[in-house]
Amino acid sequence: MDDKQNANPTILSLSDLPSRRRESNVRRRDDGGTGLFDGLIPQYSYLNDPFEQPLSSSDSDDDSVEDIDEQEVYDLISSISDPEHPLSLGSLAVVNLPDIHIQPPSSPHSSISTVVVEITPTITHCSLATVIGLGVRTRLEQALPPRFRVDVRIKKGTHSTDEAVNKQLGDKERVAAALENGTLMGVLRKMLSTCE
Amino acid sequence: MSDIQQFLLEHDRNKHEASQVAQKSATRLTDGDLKLLKLIEELGEYFNSEDGAIRAKSMAYLAEVLGFVPPKVLSLQQRNLLCDFVLSRTEDGEGIGSCAKALLALEERGKWDSERAQTIMDTFLANTSPLRQYKQQSERYPVLRLIDALLARYRDALSTLHDSQPDFLSRFIAYFDGEKDPRNLMLVFSILRVPMAEWNIGADAQDLFDAVFNYFPITFRPPPDDPYGITAQDLKDRLRECISSTADFAPYAFPALLDKLDSTSMNTKRDVLQTITSSVQEYGPRTTSLYSITLWDALKFEILNVQEEDLAEEALNGLAAIAQTLSKGTSGPLNAYLRPIIKECNEHLEDAPTKQSQAAARIVSKIANVSPDVTNLLLAGILPTMFTLFQSADNMAKRRGLLEVFVELIKANIDVYGDWRATGSAGASAPKGALAQFREQALEVLLHGLETSPANNVSYRLVCVDGLLQLSKVRELLGEDDIGKIIHLLHAIVIHEESFGKDEIKESAINSLVEIAHQKPQVVIDKAFPAFMAQLPDTDEGSKGHVAVLEAFAKLANEEEVFDTVILRLKNKFSAAVSQNASSGYIVALLSAILYALTKGSNKLEQDPNTSTYYQDIVLPLLKRTSSADASHPEAFNDETTLDLVGRICNIVVRSQSTEQQEAIASELYTLFRGTPQAELPPFNTSAPPGTHKTMIVSTHLLASFRRETRLPCEIEFLVSSLVNYTQQPDLSIPVRSASLRQLSLVINKFYSTAALKTCMGPLMEAPFELFHPEKLDPPRIRVIFACLKGILLRSSPVLAKLYPQLLDFLSHPKYGAAIAHGFSTLLQPDDLITKQNHCQVSGLHKQKSFALLVPNITQAFRDASAEMKPNYLIALSGILRWLPFDIVVEEVPSLILLLLQSLDLKGEDFVKEAAIGTLASTLAEKPEVVQEYAGSLISRLLANSVLDKEAPTPARVRAAACRCLMLVPDKLKLEVVLPYRRQVCRKLIAALDDTKREVRSAAVKCRARWLEVDEAGDDD
Repeated sequence: MDDKQNANPTILSLSDLPSRRRESNVRRRDDGGTGLFDGLIPQYSYLNDPFEQPLSSSDSDDDSVEDIDEQEVYDLISSISDPEHPLSLGSLAVVNLPDIHIQPPSSPHSSISTVVVEITPTITHCSLATVIGLGVRTRLEQALPPRFRVDVRIKKGTHSTDEAVNKQLGDKERVAAALENGTLMGVLRKMLSTCE
Repeated sequence: MSDIQQFLLEHDRNKHEASQVAQKSATRLTDGDLKLLKLIEELGEYFNSEDGAIRAKSMAYLAEVLGFVPPKVLSLQQRNLLCDFVLSRTEDGEGIGSCAKALLALEERGKWDSERAQTIMDTFLANTSPLRQYKQQSERYPVLRLIDALLARYRDALSTLHDSQPDFLSRFIAYFDGEKDPRNLMLVFSILRVPMAEWNIGADAQDLFDAVFNYFPITFRPPPDDPYGITAQDLKDRLRECISSTADFAPYAFPALLDKLDSTSMNTKRDVLQTITSSVQEYGPRTTSLYSITLWDALKFEILNVQEEDLAEEALNGLAAIAQTLSKGTSGPLNAYLRPIIKECNEHLEDAPTKQSQAAARIVSKIANVSPDVTNLLLAGILPTMFTLFQSADNMAKRRGLLEVFVELIKANIDVYGDWRATGSAGASAPKGALAQFREQALEVLLHGLETSPANNVSYRLVCVDGLLQLSKVRELLGEDDIGKIIHLLHAIVIHEESFGKDEIKESAINSLVEIAHQKPQVVIDKAFPAFMAQLPDTDEGSKGHVAVLEAFAKLANEEEVFDTVILRLKNKFSAAVSQNASSGYIVALLSAILYALTKGSNKLEQDPNTSTYYQDIVLPLLKRTSSADASHPEAFNDETTLDLVGRICNIVVRSQSTEQQEAIASELYTLFRGTPQAELPPFNTSAPPGTHKTMIVSTHLLASFRRETRLPCEIEFLVSSLVNYTQQPDLSIPVRSASLRQLSLVINKFYSTAALKTCMGPLMEAPFELFHPEKLDPPRIRVIFACLKGILLRSSPVLAKLYPQLLDFLSHPKYGAAIAHGFSTLLQPDDLITKQNHCQVSGLHKQKSFALLVPNITQAFRDASAEMKPNYLIALSGILRWLPFDIVVEEVPSLILLLLQSLDLKGEDFVKEAAIGTLASTLAEKPEVVQEYAGSLISRLLANSVLDKEAPTPARVRAAACRCLMLVPDKLKLEVVLPYRRQVCRKLIAALDDTKREVRSAAVKCRARWLEVDEAGDDD
């Protein structure tokens, strides 16, 4: 068994991680109830007349646009596994919601937004920081539309060689070269396999 | 030619023929045509042959003949002679397997005495050891079967042999040395287990242990088409039983197992852990105590540094097994075992919450409930440190981590000592647990934590609620005063606390109250009910808070013990609110609460036929209020949804009443106790005053609640024709019309006899209704048709075979074809009124029946239909498919695929698309080979539906469903089929990644990630 660099990391409780699931359910009801009584009338009540309904029911709120926001980016990457532990980057607090920023297009003519993700290694000399960064980067490049530029870096002051690592992560050619490496790809695939 | 010659001739050519020869000899022997002596004489020459093969075959012949001879043909003397003869042949190295077979055949024909059994065992050991010298598995196998039989039936004889010959066991062990065949090993393990478990093995223990442990770990993998069906697991199980069979093995087993625990193979580690667990269980407390601490030191590593989740689980099982075994012995060893565990866990808890503190919590909670002694020792060892740590903790996360462990310990305590209603595994006479000493402190910490920590500390407060709940459940721990304090805090949270976040705290508080009500109903009624009632005004002045309180209060009806009280209080509140002219909103909320409570207690209503009090107290007053026109008729009762609630409340009470009780109501089905003659009211009087129509909704629910034997207030044909007439009134409100149509379905389903059902549609097809007249077809008639069919089809009546074709013809009706097509989705749609609970007749096979009558005809007619009519058939098809479980559809799926794919091209028919995607997804999952050849067209259509089309936008629901279905494709279809589309799918899905809806984006991300993997998987191969 290989020695782990940090054998006993601090773990956050899943219920304390930021999540959209929690928010979306909090639709304030006018009457202050939780909707317990809504289920009393079954979904397929006789009261619905199939001949009276608009035949193609489009969702009433279909016009509203749900933008890609920080929480969505967080949800994309927080379930990536740590290469050392069978734990998610979210529960190890390697990725944190406040460290994700979406910068709007710099000029009105441009459509390119930038996603900046700052990762916090569990210990300051973690040599796997680059791999984690690469995993986050790969995941975002696969999952975000091309109008987003992805910028993954180590949070300042959380790693002994953060500058060097950032240089590696920012260098397109080095990233591309790294992804050619079979062993590294194997590690990345395993990390990303737990993504939700 | 003698039999033996013939046998020798056939033996190598045709085994079956050879057996026939042996069979023939056996028959002759039985009939007396052949003397045994003669048979042996004939054999003599061949037994003395120079050629070993011939000698072996001769023995095979003898063994086969003996196997065919019926019982009682051979005398005892003959059998003894034969035994001696066969045994003497074991000196010859040839045909040893056949010797064993012959002996087995003889044994089946007459039991041996002890001496005979011992001689056989001795002779085999002397002449054939080691067994591995015989290269053929088929030679060794019968020998092993013979020995197995000896051990099974002559156990004492062999045991005596062991006691009288000091070197017997070592020779016995050596005999099996080097066996490799899995079939034989299964026997060897079971043979060796007898001396292990039953004999005094003394100095041979290590040899005996090594004889089986040499095979550890089993790495055997059966060949692909293994005819013998022996799996690695079978071997592992037998081997494990051997290792754990005697405590004498402990000095060899534990060091050897722990050594193998360092293996890098997960399979080996799993075997080791399982073997340790079963060994500990079998070896007993004395032996286990010698190794318990060594084992703890090794096993803890697997839990504190989890490699694989299931290994940690196995290691935990091992630790628990040790604790359990030691609990059976004296207290000293148990103490000695738990001491280092407690020490280590306490240390890890100090830096909670970390990976290792979580592991420590797992250890503690796994072990804690194995016995009262363990519970007491763990609680006494951990609670003091835990509370000290808690007091000095500097952050909430740590406090939460500690309390979580505490809650697990309380739960273990409940497992062992029981709750208020049932005793635990320790039984009723158990002494008080160690928890009692910390009662005050625990209660204070938890109450204080819940009361004072800020609302945003959700996870912490949730643990506190859980802790208080568990504490209140522990048998004879808290007094009613203390439980009252907990209840007070919980209902204060439910009633008074500001709403926060997802309101998990409020929810958990009310659920806890329900659970406490199960344990201590009277305390909850005394303490919490008045608080709830105080919050519910008799009349509301625009305040909105009461709904939340009502919801919480209604939930308490979940608990049987307080159900009646909840209903009573709600009913009183309702009467008060009506007499005080409360707002409609408040009245609706009260009715909803009553309905919710009754639904939760409906089991109770059904078990207790004496529901007349509910009828007198709730149903009757509600019905009178509904129909009256004076002050007792609340404003809210003019609203159709309120009347629906009223109807449902009445339904739930009335449906479990007896036929006699129901008939009293049935005669008032439409009059509802208002004193007006029935003929002046709907549905009999289409020109009844406008105010009287709405009560049809309540009548519908009453009709639904009646038993089939209950007498209706008028002739059934008259009722049906009145309803058909009534529902076609153009100025009916939609709910009243729907309710009346549903009455039609209910009457047809429940009250027609099977014979009458076949002709019930007859009168409706004639004037004045002429339901199926193509030129008179209009929306009101279409509704009536489907309402009638709904009642009939659930009974799977044969008349459907006549009715459905007419309906299918209408699909190409120039004007109403589309309307008819949409109606098809109502046929099999689940229905909340036509149910078995409502005494309706629902045939188990009605879906199959309608499917068989409709779907093949639709696919047929689709082919012949004109282009503009084709969509109607697709719509009708999806209307049926969307309600069917896939196993009904599966056989027809090959003929449906093309229609389903074309459904995906329809514009604006979103339900149709959704149903088609659903069926395609099921087909992919269950029967992918059907879709294989359409892969290209499936993939491109799903892609087209995944991406938002500005021209004909589909709802997000459909786009997401298309993505999810597309994700299944690479999982289910062959790689070479899918691979060519990878690039196209990944490129086109980029657009879906930028969908306006989150739901679609998330499905698209997953789908695309799956497709990106497609060629990576190919690289690996």
